[in-house]
Amino acid sequence: SSPQDQYEMYSVEMEKQGNGAMDVKIKKKKTNKAAKKKEKLESMKKEMDVVSGGSRTGVALAGEILLRDGPNELKPPKGTPEYVKFARQLAGGLQCLMWVAAAICLIAFGIQCGQGDLTSADNLYLAIALIAVVVVTGCFGYYQEFKSTNIIASFKNLVPQQATVIRDGDKFQINANQLVVGDLVEIKGGDRVPADIRIITAQGCKVDNSSLTGESEPQTRAPECTHESPLETRNIAFFSTMCLEGTATGIIVNTGDRTIIGRIASLASGVENEKTPIAIEIEHFVDIIAGLAIFFGGTFFVVAMVIGYPFLKAMVFFMAIVVAYVPEGLLATVTVCLSLTAKRLARKNCVVKNLEAVETLGSTSVICSDKTGTLTQNRMTVSHLWFDNQIHTADTTEDQSGQSFDQSSETWRALCKIVSLCNRAFFKSGQDNVPVPKRIVIGDASETALLKFSEITLGNVMEYRERCKKACEIPFNSTNKFQLSIHELEDPRDPRYLLVMKGAPERILERCATIMIKGQELPLDEQWKEAFQTAYMDLGGLGERVLGFCHLYLDPGQFPRGFAFDTEDMNFPTSGLCFAGLISMIDPPRATVPDAVMKCRTAGIRVIMVTGDHPITAKAIAASVGIISEGSETVEDIAARMRIPVEQVNKEARACVVNGGQLKDMETEELVEILKMHPEMVFARTSPQQKLIIVESCQKLGAIVAVTGDGVNDSPALKKADIGVAMGIAGSDAAKNAADMILLDDNFASIVTGVEQGRLIFDNLKKSIAYTLTKNIPELTPYLIYITVSVPLPLGCITILFIELCTDIFPSVSLAYEKAESDIMHLKPRNPRRDRLVNEALAVYSYFQIGAIQSFAGFTDYFTAMAQEGWFPLLCVGLRAQWENDHLQDLQDSYGQEWTFGQRLYQEYTCYTVFFISIEMCQISDVLIRKTRRLSVFQQGFFRNKILVIAIVFQLCLGCFLCYCPGMPNIFNFMPIRFQWWLVPLPYGILIFVYDEIRKLGVRRHPGSWWDKELYY
Amino acid sequence: MARGKAKEGDGNWKKFIWNSEKKEFLGRTGGSWFKILLFYLIFYGCLAGIFIGTIQVMLLTISEYEPKYQDRVAPPGLTVVPQVLKTEVSFSISDPKTYEEYVEGLNRFLKNYDNSQQTDEMIFDDCPEKPHDYITRGAFNNAQGQKKVCRFRREWLENCSGILDSSYGYKDGKPCVVVKLNRILGFKPKPPLNDSLPPEMMGKYNPYVLPVHCFPKKEEDVDKIGTVEYYGLGGYAGFPLQYYPYYGKLLQPKYLQPLMAVQFTNLTYDTEVRVECKVYGENIHYSDKDRFQGRFEVKFDIKSS
Repeated sequence: SSPQDQYEMYSVEMEKQGNGAMDVKIKKKKTNKAAKKKEKLESMKKEMDVVSGGSRTGVALAGEILLRDGPNELKPPKGTPEYVKFARQLAGGLQCLMWVAAAICLIAFGIQCGQGDLTSADNLYLAIALIAVVVVTGCFGYYQEFKSTNIIASFKNLVPQQATVIRDGDKFQINANQLVVGDLVEIKGGDRVPADIRIITAQGCKVDNSSLTGESEPQTRAPECTHESPLETRNIAFFSTMCLEGTATGIIVNTGDRTIIGRIASLASGVENEKTPIAIEIEHFVDIIAGLAIFFGGTFFVVAMVIGYPFLKAMVFFMAIVVAYVPEGLLATVTVCLSLTAKRLARKNCVVKNLEAVETLGSTSVICSDKTGTLTQNRMTVSHLWFDNQIHTADTTEDQSGQSFDQSSETWRALCKIVSLCNRAFFKSGQDNVPVPKRIVIGDASETALLKFSEITLGNVMEYRERCKKACEIPFNSTNKFQLSIHELEDPRDPRYLLVMKGAPERILERCATIMIKGQELPLDEQWKEAFQTAYMDLGGLGERVLGFCHLYLDPGQFPRGFAFDTEDMNFPTSGLCFAGLISMIDPPRATVPDAVMKCRTAGIRVIMVTGDHPITAKAIAASVGIISEGSETVEDIAARMRIPVEQVNKEARACVVNGGQLKDMETEELVEILKMHPEMVFARTSPQQKLIIVESCQKLGAIVAVTGDGVNDSPALKKADIGVAMGIAGSDAAKNAADMILLDDNFASIVTGVEQGRLIFDNLKKSIAYTLTKNIPELTPYLIYITVSVPLPLGCITILFIELCTDIFPSVSLAYEKAESDIMHLKPRNPRRDRLVNEALAVYSYFQIGAIQSFAGFTDYFTAMAQEGWFPLLCVGLRAQWENDHLQDLQDSYGQEWTFGQRLYQEYTCYTVFFISIEMCQISDVLIRKTRRLSVFQQGFFRNKILVIAIVFQLCLGCFLCYCPGMPNIFNFMPIRFQWWLVPLPYGILIFVYDEIRKLGVRRHPGSWWDKELYY
Repeated sequence: MARGKAKEGDGNWKKFIWNSEKKEFLGRTGGSWFKILLFYLIFYGCLAGIFIGTIQVMLLTISEYEPKYQDRVAPPGLTVVPQVLKTEVSFSISDPKTYEEYVEGLNRFLKNYDNSQQTDEMIFDDCPEKPHDYITRGAFNNAQGQKKVCRFRREWLENCSGILDSSYGYKDGKPCVVVKLNRILGFKPKPPLNDSLPPEMMGKYNPYVLPVHCFPKKEEDVDKIGTVEYYGLGGYAGFPLQYYPYYGKLLQPKYLQPLMAVQFTNLTYDTEVRVECKVYGENIHYSDKDRFQGRFEVKFDIKSS
């Protein structure tokens, strides 16, 4: 039955609904015409009318039409304008807060300036710093985005496609994008169809429509119109499909975006990308932070007003609290961490388009994978042979590293001769130095497989064919279902001719009278026939394509040298031949795939195969790569084993093979049910549109779905998936555009690497964020104490910005290099609703425990520095008003010494610096404890993460530089401080370390306990 | 989808605050709240203990009598009395109310220098009435109890003492300001080397006096400033060394730092005159950032009517 009968065409309509969700409607196109379809058809007919009106385009007219229609190429999806992208970077949640803070600073500056205040320059300074921070981080984010867009641009084909066009009766080779409607073009095997064309002449023309419809069988193209639907009629070849063999000429009916492919591509590009889980996480988290910042700021604004500060002062407090509480460096840290992982992945052949996709891969719980090319090597390979009543296994590995079979038998030699001679495929010349599996072959897939097989086992086949001259040949056709050729023998003294034949096994067997066993020709009796049947069934059951081989030495008396063989009359025997054996071929799985699938399985990820191939083949490949595990049975298997009808099987089957036909009749709920019931699923004979339904159903189960695809028609599914993975080699541009990630080597195992990296980065981001959040508390508390207790300000805003954006960035990024604590590929994928990036425990532990200890460290150092310079702690309380009075030039300290305002200001800067150093010292301890969340740091190793060690040294050097570089006091308010003030926070650093080790010990020792629940983040 | 979520979220909010099914307040049951609060009570208790402990230990290492470091307070500032907003002395001769504030400030400040305040022989000491070298009184501790303090007679300030003229010259348009060097514990100011002084001060040079000199801030104000009279111990325009070093609030609670007064007797009226006064010494420094270190600036704006 032709594929058209099994497939129904679906139209996919996607609408973006107001709430951002994508609604996908799949409509079955009924044969009785829907109005819309009719309209389309009409327009298509009209276009054809224009053409059949006889106006072949001339060069001049072509130019006009080109002007009217534009070049014949798919317009790249409309990107957001660059300035909008940049503006978006400046308008995030935190950025807006910073703008507000900067505005408050400017207003404060304006007012104070108006009052002639001497210290008001500080506010201007801070406003500029805040704006700079927003702009710089914005530029950074923009640059990252720009870089990843560039990666995609580099994928675009740089070499323009050429097409042969006939204009004004002359043939031209022109760039395909210059073609216009009405052009007459020629295509031949190996060409890409340059536009949608209506065939007017064809010789054995076959096209591969798989990227459009998903049908993997080559389709004949001929001038006759066989169907009303343009998608199904045989006389239209579609833009960007491949012409496999034959030649054809045709008239262009559609160009560029008006082609069928163009329409599908624009359909997919109109769909907004689904938000990645990490984007949702970060947004969620930023909202909370911004909310808390405003809440804190607002509360203390009110408190300050109640205490009796002037309005302006209270506004400045609000601003300062926002600056202190917002983790300015966090977004940059996250971006850098993600892009580091993206870089690491790129080295492993995964190019990530969208940075956030890195993490999505880590939370993936279902992978819907293609078969061809992704799981398999995408080349037919001889896998089994049956001769001497025995099944032999051939080496199917990519690099021929596997075991070979026993090649000593006479039968093998005979079989080998047939394989080499009865074969029309040949190597392209000039490839002698290329390893056999990589050589380019002209010929169809199975002949290529056989040629390569014999080349590997025998050696130089082409030369062997030269020696055995071909006398005549009948190529394969679908009526005969065999291929035959007659050759002279290698030995010139032997006058016999050798007839060799291959074809469908049952047809070959019909024509045989004898069978060769161990070199002996034995009569082909019932016993041997049964043996043949068994072998044929066995091989067929493996999902392999089986061919039979036989030969006959022609009687030299009847067929002397030079006998004129006539292929039309068949004046030679075609029956009573000698059966040599069976050879089966398969597109073998890639060597790395079974391991990768196994890894997925241990990692709790379901791998679902979705393929257009036959169910049997699909199942066989699924079984061989482990998607259907050993011992799993489908309902059909159980039925066959227990010899009962399928309906009576009531045992639950682990595995399930669903084909497109069944899927078509299923309700969505039913499909969801099936997905729930059977952990091991294979979808065969599916159209790419059905892939979309499968993806949706998986998402309904709450899974994060990764989809691989290469065809144009996969692009909606790739978009719909949480992460779309396109194939770098086989993938079409439309698929690459729709995908979030591109596998450069088309290899499934690369996805698993991606999953591992994704999980690692999720863990490490957690650590980075925990590290970054911690210091917000010691930055915030100085203000709170300053406002409520009125001590001289312990930490200034500029200093806070230095902590956030200067010293602490490198250590927080270095946590991205941390190795996994445990075998992350043995854990279940995270549940996006339960396992948040920033959970309550993380925030509470960072803020109220480690952050609190850091605050105490800062205040200890602050009071030490104050006391040692003459201001005892109790004197400090309530001192603020006098301290900040710039007319008071003789304020007495605890010893009765008199301080000018300038001296007090420098003392305040000293406090800033001391507090800064305290936070830095504690953050060093913090970065060490953040290396692990569960294991002891001693188990993880202090120096394994070299980058982290370098980061700590860097942080210390930067701290020293800020403190001791001349000129700092007046530029950035850092003072050179005494060495012992570096040491004051040390005990607190040690306390942080010891406390966290105790926490981890408790978490490890008592899983599930109160301690674990409250303190494990 | 997003909308649905928000609605769900609304319901969740109420449920989050008080979940009647599980008897949870803000996501925790009473027992759970008790446990977590107890944990934090202990946690913060310990932290506060450690904090207070370390602060106490730190305070133990600090002497009550002598600051550990004087990184920021030295060299000393030079302060002017009356202390006025924006260091601007602006008044009208005819209206006593306009200078009342300055007179009050001076009165308040000089009260400690009244003779009646310096009667206690246990505390006060008659130091030489001529400039003299430093008088050191032992180590910076209370092994010998409190340290004695040199007397400083208010009348040494002559016209600016407030004894002869209770308006300190303000009613005649000849304003006085009193100048003091900020107290710094243990600080021994060193008089300047002879050749580093401005020539006009050379005449009054004394090796035991830290001289003070006032001059117009701007060159063009030279004629507006008129005559400047300096009053101080022994008639020297400066701070005599026998009052140094200072032993701190605990050892010398009644310490009187040496004063000197400056009277501008012939200021140009009805215009702004900016005057800078500087103290000179080997260990006195000036800073661009701190305009009160070793010097100060006063702006006079006297209205004649």
